[in-house]
Amino acid sequence: MSAQAKGLGAGPRSRFNSWLHHHRQSAYESLNKQLLTPISTLLTWLVLGISLALPATVLVALDNIDRLTAGVDRSTQFSLFLQADTEEAAAEDFVADLAQRSDVATATLIPADRALQEFAADTGLSAVVATLDDNPLPHTVVVRPIAMGAAALADLAAVFDRMPEVSQVVLDTRWIKRLISALEFGRRLTYAIGAMMLVGALLALANTIRLEIEARRAEIVVIKLIGASDGFARRPFLYTGLWYGIGGGVIASGLVFGLLWLLAPPVNELLRLYDSDKVLMGLGAIGALQLVLIGGAVGLMSAWQATAVHLRRVEPR
Amino acid sequence: MIEFKRVSKRYESHDALRDISLTIDTGEMAFITGHSGAGKSTLLRLLLLLDRPSSGELSVNQRPTSAIKRRGIAAYRRNFGIVFQDHQLLFDRSVFDNVALPLVIAGFGRRDVNRRARAALDKVGLLDREGANPASLSGGEQQRVGIARAVVARPRILIADEPTGNLDPDLSAEIMELFRAFNRVGVTVLIASHDLALISRMRHRIITLHEGRLIEGEGR
Repeated sequence: MSAQAKGLGAGPRSRFNSWLHHHRQSAYESLNKQLLTPISTLLTWLVLGISLALPATVLVALDNIDRLTAGVDRSTQFSLFLQADTEEAAAEDFVADLAQRSDVATATLIPADRALQEFAADTGLSAVVATLDDNPLPHTVVVRPIAMGAAALADLAAVFDRMPEVSQVVLDTRWIKRLISALEFGRRLTYAIGAMMLVGALLALANTIRLEIEARRAEIVVIKLIGASDGFARRPFLYTGLWYGIGGGVIASGLVFGLLWLLAPPVNELLRLYDSDKVLMGLGAIGALQLVLIGGAVGLMSAWQATAVHLRRVEPR
Repeated sequence: MIEFKRVSKRYESHDALRDISLTIDTGEMAFITGHSGAGKSTLLRLLLLLDRPSSGELSVNQRPTSAIKRRGIAAYRRNFGIVFQDHQLLFDRSVFDNVALPLVIAGFGRRDVNRRARAALDKVGLLDREGANPASLSGGEQQRVGIARAVVARPRILIADEPTGNLDPDLSAEIMELFRAFNRVGVTVLIASHDLALISRMRHRIITLHEGRLIEGEGR
């Protein structure tokens, strides 16, 4: 009696090859089936595509805002107003000490006299300034910190404020902190909404696959009767889900590109008016690839969900 | 060898099989007959693990089927070739692909699939129709495709449920001759049929069921 007649089936190597072959065949046939019904396939792709595209577009926008404010951070500077009775020589020593600090890039002294002259020149109030008996301005130190985050800037401001030579520290960090918090909030909100939209799309896809299982009920019953494993019966549907997901990811990438293309001219014009050399940054190839991968994963998960729940129920009766 | 030991099957309201003890030897050919509702289908359903006995034990090749869990059912069913009354062909693929299906499921390589599927189609005389859609075939031809599919993976046991139910007498005799040919090369053949005139001419064991009981042909 041959090995096959004993019910052992084919040898392991040939079995692996045919397993691979069935994968290829399932992949090809399920893609082919989708392309043969282009309208309904496109609608299914759009369900996932839109669910992916909206959060992706918002994330790209947030990334752009983040990138623009990174430039603002680097131009941050402190103005330290020294105590009114500080001598100019003492002020120079203080500035020299400040410049030694590792968190300070540059420290420049603006002596009170020069500050007054500049004030008179800038404001055109030299006549008024000339009537003053005393110079009301203190010596001022302009400190440029090394690049650091908003929280570190606030800490540094506190350090300066505690120095005995310093009477007042001026640094407007609040708007930066607010912006950073707002961006973080926006990002998290987008993740949350995006996750919900993806779950919705996943359930919609799972339902589509459930309908396909129903439509192929007779076939599933027959192949189970003649000895198909659950895995064999499941395989075409997993590929169906994968193709829906990948198609949805491609649609999503296209939608994001389209939206940004529409937004780019006014945004770039706005940036130019603010003398920025930056332009609106798009999704990029890696972003697009990520969308396709996320789409594929969602599609596969929805197929897994649908087959786990519904394929089991399709049993020969 | 198929062995029913005091097997009963009770559905909610009635006993479909009562205390059946029955042995079918390897290489034997036997018919199961009886009126509709006598328990023929239930017997085959238990054998294919579409249902489990309420009591008693069913063994195939000395292996008790009660030991086969859900995961093992697919591999177990590959021991059988099954012919259905309504042949259960898939009309979304060719005759060849229908016949090749058990081989694909069992994991044969493409070359083996081609060779064996053609050989099976040749045996039932339909090699020239391999590319046709089964829907375009006559009832008798469809049943022969169903038989080719049942034997293509060279199962040890061939089961047929009313295989001639929808065929005229000449075609029925032809189909039965096909089964006999497979039996001659060592396949155990078990056929459920109520066509007494036909099966009594075949000179094989006839197992008769009546209201779930075995009344004739328990064997040995």
